[in-house]
Amino acid sequence: MKPNSFFYTVRQGFKNIWRNRLFSVASIATMTACILIFGVFFSILMNVTHMIRTLEEEVGVTALFDEGLEEARMKEIGAEIKKIDHVTEVTFTSAEEAWKNFQEEYFDGNPEYAESFAADNPLANSASYTVQVDAIENQDAVVAAIEKLDGIRQVNQSAAATQTLIGFNRLFTYVSVVIIAVLLVVAVFLIANTVNVGISVRREEIAIMKLIGATDAFVRAPFIVEGILLGLIGAAIPLLLLFFSYDRLIGYLLAKFEILGSISKSLPSVYSIFASLLPVGLVLGIGIGLVGSLITVRRHLDV
Amino acid sequence: MIDLDRVSKSYEKGQPAIDKISLHVDRGEFVFVVGESGSGKSTLIKLLLKELEPSEGVITVNGHVLNTMNRRAIPKYRREVGVVFQDFRLLGDRNVYENVAFAQHVIEEPGRKIRKRVPETLELVDLAGKYKSLPRQLSGGEQQRVAVARAIVNQPEILLADEPTGNLDPKNSYEIMKLLEDINARGTTVLVVTHNKELVDMFQKRVITMRRGRIARDVEEGGYHEA
Repeated sequence: MKPNSFFYTVRQGFKNIWRNRLFSVASIATMTACILIFGVFFSILMNVTHMIRTLEEEVGVTALFDEGLEEARMKEIGAEIKKIDHVTEVTFTSAEEAWKNFQEEYFDGNPEYAESFAADNPLANSASYTVQVDAIENQDAVVAAIEKLDGIRQVNQSAAATQTLIGFNRLFTYVSVVIIAVLLVVAVFLIANTVNVGISVRREEIAIMKLIGATDAFVRAPFIVEGILLGLIGAAIPLLLLFFSYDRLIGYLLAKFEILGSISKSLPSVYSIFASLLPVGLVLGIGIGLVGSLITVRRHLDV
Repeated sequence: MIDLDRVSKSYEKGQPAIDKISLHVDRGEFVFVVGESGSGKSTLIKLLLKELEPSEGVITVNGHVLNTMNRRAIPKYRREVGVVFQDFRLLGDRNVYENVAFAQHVIEEPGRKIRKRVPETLELVDLAGKYKSLPRQLSGGEQQRVAVARAIVNQPEILLADEPTGNLDPKNSYEIMKLLEDINARGTTVLVVTHNKELVDMFQKRVITMRRGRIARDVEEGGYHEA
């Protein structure tokens, strides 16, 4: 297509939208709702995923030794744990350190409570290894492997919260996929309908174009442009809305679900979310517009 | 320029709309096609525009055999043929300039050529002063002149006019026919389908009279004849 025709086609696309403004507004509104819901769900998923990743980094497996185990064996166990698949880091905490940490955590500001224990370490048998696992899904396998080692009394895993979060994430993904899919179908249908109204209104013009010698592509192009523009506008509005309300939205969700807030203090910024949401949202919008108009043009524009 | 060789067109069972017509029109000719309603005049125009396919026979226009023309070649062919209708068929939401420029946009002419060609053509049909008017602000005769301008702006080899004066009073009818004669004088082959006896008699051009899908009479410089 020549440059002059390209601009003419784009202008006609805009004019089509304006001539059919009622239907155009309906399409854009549906599209906006669709991409907005997609964006909200996408942001929540990104945040939950971020939390899970944080948890994976923070939450480890704690391996406690048999009473009176010699230090040399403890070191051997440390080396054996390191060899287990999916283990990323192993940190030794001696009984003394454990007692010190306990005092700091529970007797903070009241050192006199600890004094009653004098030189006795009530956590004498609490030396342990804290083991980091690469992904939460592999934690059970690592725990099972550590439990088999000679000299291990007990293995604690504090993954319940993470497992719940993973379950939530999975359910949330399924629900959002279904909702978004339904909305996408509605959006495609509405855009197809809007473009179809444009074609019906312009039947006479199309007939004249054909008699004058317009190519099929030239007749079709403005309607395709119309669909793409509807999709683009319908994507730009919710993306802008989300961009400016993201912090408030996440703040609201964190306040509503305190457990989430307690898990992760730093959440992904609006920029890191938009690095993927912006291209995905725009492609989705343009794609829906294109598919919607193509369906109609193929079915109703007999050129 | 236009050749029909034993061309027939049947819509459904019954009398064919066009029945084994053979016809030759030379380059630069001006031809009236007359006949009563249902004689096959409009079908002839539609066949020449390749809006319809003949049931039988061969149609050749400006060197193109329409029967075997492939779909993708149709737009290019139609650019060689201008067409004017009885009901003008202008775009009501666009002004005179835009209606004429529309034909140039359709064939993807560059902007600078459009800006030159459109005013020249409006000058030719004597509508340069009304280029901003909408069709509804014009008289019937003026609207038909816009339609003629749109048909000739792409400089077609052939101009087909289907009852161009059907909706006009005698004065405007005469002016439109005069305009078509001017266009013919510039070298365009013109074929006018009409009912207008007075005009046909007045202009003394070749007249083809059709009756029940056949050519009943074909005379050089003749008048209107009820076959």
